[in-house]
Amino acid sequence: MSTARVDPSEFLSRITGEKVVVKMRDGTECHGALQSIDGFMNVALENTVGKYKGETTKTYGDVFIRGTNGKYSLLSSILLERLLTL
Amino acid sequence: MSDINTDSEILPLELVDKAIGSQVRILLINDREFEGTLVGFDEFVNVILSDVTETGPEGTIHRDEMLLTGTTIAMFVTV
Repeated sequence: MSTARVDPSEFLSRITGEKVVVKMRDGTECHGALQSIDGFMNVALENTVGKYKGETTKTYGDVFIRGTNGKYSLLSSILLERLLTL
Repeated sequence: MSDINTDSEILPLELVDKAIGSQVRILLINDREFEGTLVGFDEFVNVILSDVTETGPEGTIHRDEMLLTGTTIAMFVTV
């Protein structure tokens, strides 16, 4: 059952440089270009727009978002979406 | 992930592994669910989905391809 299987780490390296949305646990979204991401899922974004409930709240040049630290403790549980249309 | 099979028991991750390529529904710990094709996963059950329908309190959104972090996942079911 290995029909073009893509692991998360492969996925992340493939989408580096593309436009992504990172969604925080509180529903806030950061729309920007994915500069880099590490094993903790810390994320660096470029030309970022912060949105909450669809409304733009702030714009940033560069953003660092803290990912998961180990198994449980996390400040911002992230959810990455590849944006193909926006 | 496929060398963890024994005769008597089915491990949770085996079940997830078997679902790769098929349509799954994932319920999160917070009133939100995702239905789409399971593309892959890792040891933390971070999940890659394609052709996804996200359903939350604000409605339904379609997403082409996404990564869902494992820490938010409550339940995983094939549809």
